[in-house]
Amino acid sequence: MTSATVILALVVVTALAFDFTNGFHDTGNAMATSIATGALRPKVAVALSGVFNLVGAFLSVEVALTVTNAVINVQDKAGLPLPEFTAGGGYALLLIVLCGLVGGIVWNLLTWLLGIPSSSSHALFGGLIGAAIAALGFSGVHWVGSGTKLDGVVGKVILPAVASPFIAGLVAALGTWLVYRVTAGVAQRFTDNGFRWGQIGSASLVSLAHGTNDAQKTMGVITLALIGSGHWSDTKSIPFWVKLVCALAISAGTYLGGWRVIRTLGKGLVEILPPQGLAAESASAAVILSSSHLGFALSTTHVATGSILGTGLGRKGAQVRWNVALRMVAAWLITLPAAAVVGAVMWWLGHLVGGVAGAVVVFLVLVALASYIYARSRKQPVHSGNVNDEWEAQPASEGARRQKEVAR
Amino acid sequence: MNQVALALQGSWKVLLASLVLGAGLPLVFAAGIRSMAYGQGGSAEADTSARPHPVGRALAVLCFLVVLAGVALGITIVVASGFGKAVSFAHVFPTLVAK
Repeated sequence: MTSATVILALVVVTALAFDFTNGFHDTGNAMATSIATGALRPKVAVALSGVFNLVGAFLSVEVALTVTNAVINVQDKAGLPLPEFTAGGGYALLLIVLCGLVGGIVWNLLTWLLGIPSSSSHALFGGLIGAAIAALGFSGVHWVGSGTKLDGVVGKVILPAVASPFIAGLVAALGTWLVYRVTAGVAQRFTDNGFRWGQIGSASLVSLAHGTNDAQKTMGVITLALIGSGHWSDTKSIPFWVKLVCALAISAGTYLGGWRVIRTLGKGLVEILPPQGLAAESASAAVILSSSHLGFALSTTHVATGSILGTGLGRKGAQVRWNVALRMVAAWLITLPAAAVVGAVMWWLGHLVGGVAGAVVVFLVLVALASYIYARSRKQPVHSGNVNDEWEAQPASEGARRQKEVAR
Repeated sequence: MNQVALALQGSWKVLLASLVLGAGLPLVFAAGIRSMAYGQGGSAEADTSARPHPVGRALAVLCFLVVLAGVALGITIVVASGFGKAVSFAHVFPTLVAK
């Protein structure tokens, strides 16, 4: 086993770990509303979402080599790594990719610990940008796209992120309002049962779209690493084993369920009733599908959060916890820079140690940080049993506060 | 600035398409449930003295079929994009074309 193979193996394992975190971080985007309204039992919901993610991942036949190309300058137009990065078994390229992935994972785990839904794609992009700045300077990053295509950090990451919550929120608010108008006068027991099926259908569609979009990113990253190290040369197809392990990683992550994030999305932001669940998931599904169809890909997380907020605005008397929403928006704003800082620090560390040892040290730091965050999460576990408990983290409403005062 | 203009253009298109599918289909679904309750009468309605109307059921089935067609279209878009194809609406009816 040569040293280049060791680094490549570390990159592949780290990429799969990222795919796994991507899975559990995003379960809530599809299933939080169905779990909160009781349309599906929590365990059934995550299993369903896992299956649809698995199917979705296998549906992605196109090579997503352009994922990395959108934000950092290490590849040519066809997606092949530039020659200066492939020397010596692709060490330069592999170290940037490894550190970028570590940045993405650390940020995903940290936001999961805090129960904040944040974009996994932003975390990955952030990590890669940081590692690229550390390795190549500011010219290593593709900041603004030129010409007639949305590209670069501004076009592919920042602008879509600004637009998506508003689009999804507007659609969900209108949908909610319409649904309530139309079903006025129908007995609640009757509507709840009907909307239950609507929710399950729309949430499944979101899961399928998620599997197709997000698993593809990791497949692209692994394929890039394989090409860079000379183990693969075709830019038009993905090795079958890569597809298989990526699909398994994302669906296993989804099945594990990011209960902390699910809880925030389902209970924290808005108290969701079945008609709202249907409107929110339909809005998410429609926005995700139409945006990827029109080549203006949006982050699933931003869309789902926008939809849930919107559905709170669309129902009269629904309570929206703006403090939770603000915390979330703050996390979104710092996702990219924070993951970038981790990516950059990791690259400096790896570069300082040098060689295979550098990559191994970076990997060990990741393992240590991940273990620490996991240990912290055990102090206040959130699981399928308590995910729907009343939201008490904040002194929520006037009513609740008054009740407390009365109790005293 | 060019990128901002492109993003606005993109957002606008996404918003229009999503309003039709993301708010329109739930509306049809809700109409289906409304009709179903109208068809069933009695305990399905808030006003439990309502009598059943058979035409309500027929309308409900029609609504649910429209929703199913919309969902089928959504799945087709996902699957097609995975296989490097896209769904084109150039001939009004959706057709599969190479991307």
